[in-house]
Amino acid sequence: MLRQLKARFGGPVAMAIVGLLCIWLIAMVVLPQLQMIDYSLRPNLLPDEVGGPRDHWSLTNYATLFDNRIHLAIFFKTLWSSVLVTVLTLLVSYPIAYYLAKIATPGQAALCLLLLIIPFWINEILRTFSWFIILAFRGPLNELLLTLGLIERPVRFLNGDAGVLVGMVYAYILFMVFPLYNAIESLDGNQVRAAHDLGAGTVRTHWRIVIPHAKPGIATGCIMTFMLAAGSYAVPALLGSPGSRWFTQIIYNWFFEGGDWNQGAAYAFLLLVLCIGFMSLVMRLFKVGLADIAK
Amino acid sequence: MDGSVTLERIVMRFGDFTAIEPTRLTIESGEFFSFLGPSGCGKTTLLNIVSGFLSPSEGQVYIGGEPMVGVPVNQRPTAMIFQNLALFPLMSVYQNIEFGLEVRGVGRTARRQRSDELLELVALTGSGDKPIAALSGGQKQRVAIARALAVEPRVLLLDEPLSALDLKLRQHMRNELKAIQRKTGITFIYITHDQGEALAMSDRVAVMSAGRIQQVADPETLYHRPETGFVAAFVGENNRLAGSVVEVGETLITLEVAGLGRLAGRAGGQAGLAVGQRAALYVRPEQLVLLDEMAAADAPATLEAEVESVNFEGAWRMLEARLSATGERLRILLGQGDGSRQSLAPGARGRFGYDPQQAIVLADDDSPRLDAETGEVVSGQPRESAHAASA
Repeated sequence: MLRQLKARFGGPVAMAIVGLLCIWLIAMVVLPQLQMIDYSLRPNLLPDEVGGPRDHWSLTNYATLFDNRIHLAIFFKTLWSSVLVTVLTLLVSYPIAYYLAKIATPGQAALCLLLLIIPFWINEILRTFSWFIILAFRGPLNELLLTLGLIERPVRFLNGDAGVLVGMVYAYILFMVFPLYNAIESLDGNQVRAAHDLGAGTVRTHWRIVIPHAKPGIATGCIMTFMLAAGSYAVPALLGSPGSRWFTQIIYNWFFEGGDWNQGAAYAFLLLVLCIGFMSLVMRLFKVGLADIAK
Repeated sequence: MDGSVTLERIVMRFGDFTAIEPTRLTIESGEFFSFLGPSGCGKTTLLNIVSGFLSPSEGQVYIGGEPMVGVPVNQRPTAMIFQNLALFPLMSVYQNIEFGLEVRGVGRTARRQRSDELLELVALTGSGDKPIAALSGGQKQRVAIARALAVEPRVLLLDEPLSALDLKLRQHMRNELKAIQRKTGITFIYITHDQGEALAMSDRVAVMSAGRIQQVADPETLYHRPETGFVAAFVGENNRLAGSVVEVGETLITLEVAGLGRLAGRAGGQAGLAVGQRAALYVRPEQLVLLDEMAAADAPATLEAEVESVNFEGAWRMLEARLSATGERLRILLGQGDGSRQSLAPGARGRFGYDPQQAIVLADDDSPRLDAETGEVVSGQPRESAHAASA
């Protein structure tokens, strides 16, 4: 790769590119991570005890999670809810992506993409707040359902996980739609036509032809959505009730309310391990490699 | 199994554009039928109407006597071979061939038996487990044929499936397609812009231009008795000399051609020609013979032309020449024995004669025709040749 860069840009520029990349990777990714690992392995000490006899590495901070049943429950609930968010986002995004890639005329596709993107010009907190308003007990959604006669009394959407799920599916839909769109777009339309021509109906054509082709896109979208969902803070903080806390909120509390960075770092690493585990699982399930996802 | 296809007053419009003018046509069961025409003539649209991918603006399609408009693609007794074949790249050869059977709920063993039979038919026995990517172009072609035949269609639709192959393989696949059609007895509807393919394989050919069928006939008739100027120019090579009718005889029609005098030919087309009408004489390159001085003096009509280039093609030579009188292009095909070599070098002048009984005179109507210089379709408004005007 270095040789290719040299051939294209000449020696000094190539070295500069590689150098900057290395600086960025080391200073902004590797070193902070190492620092956090170091934090997570040390006990939370008063400043004058740092460097003293009690300042040594141990797994105590990691063990805390497994001793605290509430934290453990929230950890697994975050895992389960993130999977749910991922599946729901996939179900919502697939028809949109297929429509954009294969059915819509270029004009319709452009309009549709614009409508999808415009809300994302607004800050995530504000977008989430708007869902807070929509889903409120005396909010417009309840008003609408009451007027239509679909419900007899207002529903508490924000009581439990429903609000969080809706908010997250909405917040991460683009991260699912775009990889899916890219994958489906590259499918030769004649494949779909051939499947129909050979007698297949819509469901079978999607199941046997479109979805297998779109697998790398589905995997990419699922991984991105899961990571963002599992690592989300704003949506559960705003739309969640006390009964639907997210693991990120616990981490936040360790860092900024408990003031225990060491404990927080350990929790953050456990979340990272969870995400990496999920990613490998999805990659294995879909039989795709990192190279497919990087496309 | 009745695989006849009838198009009953089919019209296809896309907005203001009429892709298919009102068309009536019956294709017999078991026939190898081709639609031949330049790109954009509407032949693919017609194929899509038969397969069900498009619904005609007007008219009805009957397959085996049953009306088809409104019947979705996946329920029609047709199968299509796509131009790019559209094999499923993530499936094996077996899975591709068995896809249509799987859809129809055929059991695993019956499916495998059927696909083995089909692999034998297309001479690919033993390749069933290969992935599609491991096949050569010709093998992919065969898998596409087997996959389409697996669903036992009454009509097989082929959309220029040979266009991606190299010349040798293309010629080989022509024979094979024809053999498969004979063996299976299925109606084949073949779309192509390659007249060689259409003439070599088909029982009948419909020549299309600008959404209209110009002529439907067997290949021999199409070549020897074209009915419109478009067919005369599109099927095979032809020299076109435009003029006006001055004499209508029993079999021969005489034209006055600007700069060349009176030229006669056999009357072609269905409508008779009248004196004074605009018409064109069509002489095929192989009908022209090089005349020596003696013969030229006796011949009723000769064309004097200057040779521009000589293309040696093995068994024959194709001469590109320009008529001395008008500057129009004249193509002459000479066999090994014809004419003396030195007189055929570029720059040489020669006198060429033809037998009026072989040449054809057709009315110069508004139907589109091919431009002799560029080979492109031009709308057929009668027009003065630019060269004739300047001469």
